[in-house]
Amino acid sequence: MIKQWQVAKHEYVKAVRRRSFILTTLGFPLLFAAIIGFSVLLATNSGDDRPLGYVDETGLLVASQSAADSPPLQPFDNETAARAALDAGNVQGYYVLPAGYLTGQQPRLVYLTEPPADDAKQAFSRLVRAALLADVSPEVSNRLQNGLSVTMQSADDGRELGSDDFLSFLVPLFAGMFYVFAVLTSAGYMLQAVTTEKENRTVEVMATSLSPLQLITGKAAGLFGVAMTQLTIWGTAAVVALAIAGVATDLFRGFQIPWSLMAVVVIYFVPSFALVAGIMIALGGVVADSQQGQQIAGIVNLFFVMPFFLFAAILARPDSPLAVAMTLFPTTAFLTVAMRWGVTIVPAWQMAVGLVGLVICAVIAVWVAARVFRIGMLSYGQRLDWRTVRAALSGRNNAGSKTSEVAS
Amino acid sequence: MTAQIGSPTVQITGVRKSFGAVRAVDDVSFDVYPGEIFGMLGPNGAGKTTTIRLMLDIFRPDAGKVAVFGGAMDEEKKDRIGYMPEERGMYRDQKLESTLIYFARLKGLSEAEARSRLTGWLQRLDLYDHRQKRIQDLSKGMQQKAQIIATLVHEPDLIVIDEPFSGLDPVNTRLVKDIIEEQRQAGRTVIMSTHQMYQVEALCNRIVLINKGKSVLYGAVDEIKRRFAGNAVVIQGEGNFNGVDGVLDVYQRNGTWHLPLAAGVAPQEVLRTLAARQDVQIERFEVAEASLDDIFVMVVQGETPDD
Repeated sequence: MIKQWQVAKHEYVKAVRRRSFILTTLGFPLLFAAIIGFSVLLATNSGDDRPLGYVDETGLLVASQSAADSPPLQPFDNETAARAALDAGNVQGYYVLPAGYLTGQQPRLVYLTEPPADDAKQAFSRLVRAALLADVSPEVSNRLQNGLSVTMQSADDGRELGSDDFLSFLVPLFAGMFYVFAVLTSAGYMLQAVTTEKENRTVEVMATSLSPLQLITGKAAGLFGVAMTQLTIWGTAAVVALAIAGVATDLFRGFQIPWSLMAVVVIYFVPSFALVAGIMIALGGVVADSQQGQQIAGIVNLFFVMPFFLFAAILARPDSPLAVAMTLFPTTAFLTVAMRWGVTIVPAWQMAVGLVGLVICAVIAVWVAARVFRIGMLSYGQRLDWRTVRAALSGRNNAGSKTSEVAS
Repeated sequence: MTAQIGSPTVQITGVRKSFGAVRAVDDVSFDVYPGEIFGMLGPNGAGKTTTIRLMLDIFRPDAGKVAVFGGAMDEEKKDRIGYMPEERGMYRDQKLESTLIYFARLKGLSEAEARSRLTGWLQRLDLYDHRQKRIQDLSKGMQQKAQIIATLVHEPDLIVIDEPFSGLDPVNTRLVKDIIEEQRQAGRTVIMSTHQMYQVEALCNRIVLINKGKSVLYGAVDEIKRRFAGNAVVIQGEGNFNGVDGVLDVYQRNGTWHLPLAAGVAPQEVLRTLAARQDVQIERFEVAEASLDDIFVMVVQGETPDD
């Protein structure tokens, strides 16, 4: 155990000192902060605080308006006055609500070069809707203005999902992305950690210091720590950014940490990591060098990020057979669950089946990795052939690879 | 010089190992005892490294038995072994001292103990001022010395070193030779594989010579040399000494000609043949004690005193 700890510590320190790790780990929070900051900026500042004018030829609109409307709306008695204000630069533009509006005539929006800001236009829409619903009770008026807001509830375990909460959609998506990036970053380090031993010719010394299983589990533990460090930094940064954004704007107000999703991330993370680590160790044992390994690893990674390519299809129909199939498939299970999390209620049985499949594949991957690594570790500069790998897996080859030399 | 005291540290009994259709090691047997330097000799591709890997449980034999410290290899015994393989290497992008500490810790030393011992070794092998350098920035000879430190820092009872002198200048060769001799004197078991026969003659108590996977010569160096005595002649003179029947090889060393003889060829026959030739002038002719070089050539070419 002490030796595995030594290997784990060595791999961890080596990985976190890499420039690529520092850039990736700190780069994501910076990117996240930039996105949140930009969103807050857009939400809080339209860039033009001049009023938006309107000419009401219907007599429908009352002069009053919501105090919260920013920029304010400014009524004009006729279009001539509105036009003069526009030419003088006192308003962003103005609407003309024609006398025949209620019988189907379209309103007009007049501006000089730049159309008015979205929040100003939305304020005018709210004013018109409120005027149209003036005779209805305030409760009914609010319901009509806000549209149909539904809370979905799962009958099997009582999980709930709001239909109009964009954070409940975005947070799982980002969590899924971070998770996949963390797993794949570690996978890259894992592959490098194995091929480095081969390329540096240190494997024989290691083999006479500890067992192959101790070596690979030590490496996996160290790189698991690397992935956890990365996820912790990213998760903390995301929570802090959303909390700060919640103070600054309504857009993120009311954000709560989705603990149920966090639990799912934790449950999926260990077997996903073991699966990736197993695949990468086996790959590192088979290939001649890290360059060859990275080429093949690129193809392997596709099996993990596949849901990204089917992003639109999964979001459009989150309960389609495709989405369900990808929830059940081990390499795509978690990312698909994360994508579906914000737009539907993923049935518990689907997550359970996906998780069991993932755990089984992870166990097989680690078993294969230990066998292939043992025979592949001495194949300096050469790739193991399929026959040798098959023999190793069947137990017929007791560390008997000798591809690097016939006899020496 | 032979020191077969107590039970053997390593016992190899009839081991076989094949890779596909190739039999790399075929019925090799030998014992190695504490307090001796044991030479493993053989031409390239003979099966030496495979035998070492079988001994150290890197490979498992198809047949035969390997016993180290009286039994099968286990994880605890690995801490008592220092191995410097032929295919050696270190983490090129890592610093020398931290790499050596890592290797020492994998052999069971505490960090404090590893640091303390390393200071002495680094100073002795003139690497102390380079301890913070990356390994890739060290010369080949320095890297070789670093490997020797990694092999010995945990004071192993069994030391297995493959070509320990390659890449070293004469000064460092002498230093490493002294270190190996010290290990023997400390009662440790040293197994050395090398092609440098004069180093084997100078250091080894006993040897095994492996050729084409088989053990073809095994025993004490002195006894082997006695067995092969008379199978070479040394000549001082001028001319062309090639083309003499029964002579396996002709080479010059220190101004004299050395002619290893095939088994059953008497030195007098060679002398008579040369005396009859007009193209040579002989100033001195003597029967040589066979060097390990000569014995190596004879055995590998299939010539033994019994033939």
